[in-house]
Amino acid sequence: MPLFGKSQKSPADVVKALKEAVNSLEKGDKKAEKAQEDVSKNLVLIKNMLYGTSDAEPQTDIIVAQLAQELYNSNLLLLLIQNLNRIDFEGKKDVAQVFNNILRRQIGTRSPTVEYICTKPEILFTLMTGYEHQEIALNCGTMLRECARYEALAKIMLYSDDFYNFFKYVEVSTFDIASDAFSTFKELLTRHKILCADFLEMNYDKVFNHYQRLLNSENYVTRRQSLKLLGELLLDRHNFTVMTRYISNPDNLKLMMNMLKERSRNIQFEAFHVFKVFVANPNKPKPILDILLRNQDKLVEFLMKFHTDRAEDEQFNDEKAYLIRQIRELRPSADH
Amino acid sequence: MLCIDNHVNKVAIKELGLLTMDDKMCNISKSFDSEGGDCSDADIEINNRIFSVESDEESVKRFNDQDNSVIWLNDEDFADDLENVNINNFFHRVDSDQIIYQTKKKRLKLVGKYVMGDLLGEGSYGKVKEMLDSETLCRHAVKILKKHKLRRIPNGEQNVQREIKLLRTLKHKNVINLVDVLYNEEKQKMYLIMEFCVGSLQGMLEATPLKRFPLFQAHDYFVQLVDGLEYLHSRRIIHKDIKPGNLLLTLKGDLKISDLGVAEALDLFAVDDTCYTGQGSPAFQPPEIANGLESFPGFKVDIWSSGVTLYNITTGVYPFEGDNVYRLFENIGKGEFVIPAELEESLKELLQGMLRKDPEKRLTVQQIRQHPWCIRKPSRDSIQVPIPPLKGDEWHNMTVLPYLVDHYYETQSNQEGDIQYFTERQLNEERRKHETQQSNGISQSNQMHQSSKRRWKKPMSCITVKRFPGCKQS
Repeated sequence: MPLFGKSQKSPADVVKALKEAVNSLEKGDKKAEKAQEDVSKNLVLIKNMLYGTSDAEPQTDIIVAQLAQELYNSNLLLLLIQNLNRIDFEGKKDVAQVFNNILRRQIGTRSPTVEYICTKPEILFTLMTGYEHQEIALNCGTMLRECARYEALAKIMLYSDDFYNFFKYVEVSTFDIASDAFSTFKELLTRHKILCADFLEMNYDKVFNHYQRLLNSENYVTRRQSLKLLGELLLDRHNFTVMTRYISNPDNLKLMMNMLKERSRNIQFEAFHVFKVFVANPNKPKPILDILLRNQDKLVEFLMKFHTDRAEDEQFNDEKAYLIRQIRELRPSADH
Repeated sequence: MLCIDNHVNKVAIKELGLLTMDDKMCNISKSFDSEGGDCSDADIEINNRIFSVESDEESVKRFNDQDNSVIWLNDEDFADDLENVNINNFFHRVDSDQIIYQTKKKRLKLVGKYVMGDLLGEGSYGKVKEMLDSETLCRHAVKILKKHKLRRIPNGEQNVQREIKLLRTLKHKNVINLVDVLYNEEKQKMYLIMEFCVGSLQGMLEATPLKRFPLFQAHDYFVQLVDGLEYLHSRRIIHKDIKPGNLLLTLKGDLKISDLGVAEALDLFAVDDTCYTGQGSPAFQPPEIANGLESFPGFKVDIWSSGVTLYNITTGVYPFEGDNVYRLFENIGKGEFVIPAELEESLKELLQGMLRKDPEKRLTVQQIRQHPWCIRKPSRDSIQVPIPPLKGDEWHNMTVLPYLVDHYYETQSNQEGDIQYFTERQLNEERRKHETQQSNGISQSNQMHQSSKRRWKKPMSCITVKRFPGCKQS
């Protein structure tokens, strides 16, 4: 206990004070300035309880448990996120820090905050729409990625309609927001292998319809990033079913063959890693085989000249040689 | 044939007032210690590391000038004339106080754009050294592979090529990152430049009395191992040699799965993970391999070895032992093992799940991740086992720096007297002082520690003769 100054406020007091301040901030009345100040002050108090300061240790488990309980009961987490754009710059960062810390809290094998958010998925959806507001997008991003680490929360986000908004967010004109959204998007699609594989399988058409638009995006970065992620998704062993489905569709093959000819060498290279899967498939469906056969000579010629300066990349050269051999040896299937 | 006791290893030349013991000779003693047949190659290595041609000639000249009873032979002559030379005339045993040591001179060496630092470790294939990228200033480690050494290891060259090929395609926080590969055809060397790691779990275990980690530390490493393993498996790679010795740590405490020399990559369209070969370390092999089954599911091999690893880092012993590989395999083959009673229940259950004899019944990566023992974070209730210090430096300072300092501030160090000499007696005193200081507690003597280190500079240089052709294994 400090000898001078006010004695420490209890978690209940701080949470109550913060809630009142946020409410008055929300109303935007005359006292807004005072409210802003109170919000910042109380956020710092909560942050210090969780993280400690340079001369104080974090609070004991009991205090932190009380604080968490107060936060759940008062519904303050949602309120803070809903009003995040009204809170000042430092305060926004404090909200993210408090949120992430409370989220990581564990009691034995349980994560109480994760359980709490499962009952209040609105928190997640509000965070996701955060990408639509420039001034809070990155703060929401850090909180979303922390949420995505938990399978239960990732599942709620993936299976929500709001997930498809990500296809919009990753393409926004502000580069840092678009890339932040992309890393969250990628985290959701790759972090929990079984969950992701099931999701992609069950929502194959919808997801890949949207995905197609990313691959055809006007934005070079979007095109390149999404192509790279597509390669990673297809080559992940957990997504085997999705991969076989993807490489059976002649439209996908056509798209990749066009991307092989893109102006950007990086895109050509990423496209190569998806294209190779079509060719390596031992059970090529007829439409795929037909396209490859129609372009047999052109493809061989093209691949012979493809990125010849990557001499030191043995893996790539092996794969290229393999593809050339495979395409050369292609024969029309026996049953026609 | 000429043979000198390695422990004594003190050879002096009569009447040579000042015995110049240059690094060249000294380092040979090391390679002589480890393997006899390697002199020529060690020569090359040393030449490049520390010795400039001038200083080499100088020392030879000094020998010739001072004493004509001593005939200093060139490498080539030495072998031929050895039988004609009376060894007793050639080498004289002298009292230890007459032996003078010389501090090792740091010479900057560049390989491509990388600046070499000190030795970090040594394996059957060659050395591992620290290295600095002079362009990005990133700290790396380099595995120096010598072709002739690789040839002696079964499948050596093949394994290295496979490792390079695999590592190039991988990128994950818990899998070692291959930064660059350089070749030197002339010297028949290969440089694998990797992320800088400070040590392996094995090294840490060996340096701790109980040979195990406190639970919270084991938990931290194990969870990272499982993450890395999940990634490898998602990329269709079966590591096949998971063990504490292949799990490295960065300064930050991130675990890195390394050594993919015997790993296998499954075909993209393989229906399942059936494998036919396993060449990992015996104590970590699953019953299906110990029993010599023709084929077995690959991913479950890694699960088993991760289970043995977890058992080992939490108990300090192995679940299966044997006097020789046959006994060991016999015991593994039975699949019966005992878990020390003092382990907590959930850990026991996890170990039992990972070490199920039937690979089909063994846990999957996903099941392990969701196991209560993995989800629950143990509290930090005891002192963490530290990463052992490298040559007395518990902070693992960058060893490239002294070379750079020496290179760019050479004039200054020359004024101070670049080469320092001291006798065995001084050396022993310094060593004793050093030891007492260490046992007195590290914190209080931090400053003294540093100053004594500067003067003392490790007796890396110890005297020897240039070559021991007599020990060639031919």
